[in-house]
Amino acid sequence: MPDLTSPLPAATAPMSAEEHARLAAQLRSRRVARQRVQNVLAYAVLIVIALIMLYPFYWTLITSFEPTGNIYEAKILPRGVSLRNYAEVFSGTTVPFWRLILNSLVICVLGVTITTTLATLAAYPLAKMRFPGRDLIFYAILILMVLPNEAGLIVNYITTIKLGLLQQTNPVIDAVRQYLAVVLPGAASIIGLFLLRQAYLGVPQELIEAARIDGARELTIWRRIMLPLALPTIVAFAILEFVAYWNSFLWARIMLPDKNMLPLSAGLLELSSTFSTNSRAVMAGAVITIIPILIVFLTGQRYFMKGLEGAVKG
Amino acid sequence: MTSTQRRVSRRAQHKLGGTGARVTARNTLIAYTFMLPFLILLVVYHTWPVIFGTYLAFTKYNIISPPQWVGLANFRELFADGQFWSGLRNSLKYILVVPVIQIIAILVALLVNRPLKGIGFFRTAYYVPVVTSFAVVGLIWNWMYQQGGPVTAVLGFLGLPQNGSFLNNPATALYAVMFVTLWKGIGYYMVLYLAGLQGISPELEEAATIDGATRTQVFWNITLPGLRPTILVCSLMSTISAIKVFEEIYVMTQGGPAGSTYSALFYTYSRAFVDFQYGLAAAAGIIIAVISILFGLINFKLTRGGKVDA
Repeated sequence: MPDLTSPLPAATAPMSAEEHARLAAQLRSRRVARQRVQNVLAYAVLIVIALIMLYPFYWTLITSFEPTGNIYEAKILPRGVSLRNYAEVFSGTTVPFWRLILNSLVICVLGVTITTTLATLAAYPLAKMRFPGRDLIFYAILILMVLPNEAGLIVNYITTIKLGLLQQTNPVIDAVRQYLAVVLPGAASIIGLFLLRQAYLGVPQELIEAARIDGARELTIWRRIMLPLALPTIVAFAILEFVAYWNSFLWARIMLPDKNMLPLSAGLLELSSTFSTNSRAVMAGAVITIIPILIVFLTGQRYFMKGLEGAVKG
Repeated sequence: MTSTQRRVSRRAQHKLGGTGARVTARNTLIAYTFMLPFLILLVVYHTWPVIFGTYLAFTKYNIISPPQWVGLANFRELFADGQFWSGLRNSLKYILVVPVIQIIAILVALLVNRPLKGIGFFRTAYYVPVVTSFAVVGLIWNWMYQQGGPVTAVLGFLGLPQNGSFLNNPATALYAVMFVTLWKGIGYYMVLYLAGLQGISPELEEAATIDGATRTQVFWNITLPGLRPTILVCSLMSTISAIKVFEEIYVMTQGGPAGSTYSALFYTYSRAFVDFQYGLAAAAGIIIAVISILFGLINFKLTRGGKVDA
């Protein structure tokens, strides 16, 4: 702390207006200077953390473009640029990369659609209707959210087999069933139900009553009033779900015997075990796997963060 | 409608905050129709696993023949299995990540809560690892950790010892995986703490500053107590996910080298999907579940008991 007392004259000699202004300016410039030093320090720390967070991605990106050389070396710029590794991912392997991309897209579209539809529908009565058993259902769902479910993977695997989702009959139906096998276990999202119920609770009851008096059916009220008014939360939730479905790999790897049905994340691990000689090709695959999620995240960022905050604050 | 029913529903309405049309058979039917698809999937994929999984823990089961009741045999087998114990030990060791990740996340949240130009970029950058799949993150760090790779280069630059690839050394592998968990998780908790920080009234901090409190005093007496609910939730979440650590291990080390990263959930996974001993795996799952509940309760007690001002 700089010594601020000395410039202050004793009360016996009242300051002139000029002196007063000079002192104020001095104090202000000191504060500005201190602020500036603090900001520089803050930026330095921010940049160091950003490097730690982003360099692994950047390093993978530049290495994936290198045709040859010492692969694991730390570097700032690639030694040579070629698309050979990217070509290799699509051609030089038993894992059909295009198919993996298609699988991931289908799984995401199917998953996000089913999950958001179910949650937006189910949250409506819980927030805005009166019926026997409402509290019971709500609390039962909350308990399920807290209850750890380690046997989930095992029992869901058994359930999926018993439901016949892995049966082989006809190629098209098989594909649909296998996609469903990947999507369905996560389709009843308790967090989603919770977020949407919170959003619906904010919709004024008068609006709904007025619509009911006008003779609107509940489905119409849901579609015309609830959905538009809860749209920000729905978008936030859809983005969260997209990220979750795109990134899921374990369940699909356990579930799907057919490598052609794997989503990208799961297929990437397959790729890394087949491509033991060309890690650069796997890096190219990793880059391709990350890009869609980055696009979705960056475009929906604001909603995404909001959804996440809502999930904790409740 | 009887008067008790009316009273109950009015209470329900009060508790849950919503009002709505009168309780009639028709409205009830409509309500359940809206919830039906969700509830069916909820029962099949969330409730049933809890019930059937608990039952399986007391059986021998391999999917092909029906489950065969064996009582506590699975649990006896688990307790006699050294591999299970070492898995459990590694999972408990993993809790080391919790305090580190929480402290760093709070500090980072304080840092990005400052009204600096371009702060949005940094918040976004720190969040990128969070939205990336463990499949990708695990692979990237496998490469980064290779001998002569970026990690050893950085350690060399800092003048620290660089003993080969960290993932191939039983003494360091678990810590190397922990670092990846830390690196991937900081952004997630940062956002939650940021939300918590924004919930603290700025007037309170201002008032304290005017009253002559230093920055450190403001942090310890206002900011930190204000963050307590968030700290509780976050440390609870990270403790439970530490005990259940699996995906990073699955991608990076498969439990090796020499079982040094073998976690409790990895044990469950390999019993079920490698050895097809579903009953034994379910029993291990129950023990992990009980341990996470216990740690949850301890955590709750600690964070509550620390300093109560309400």
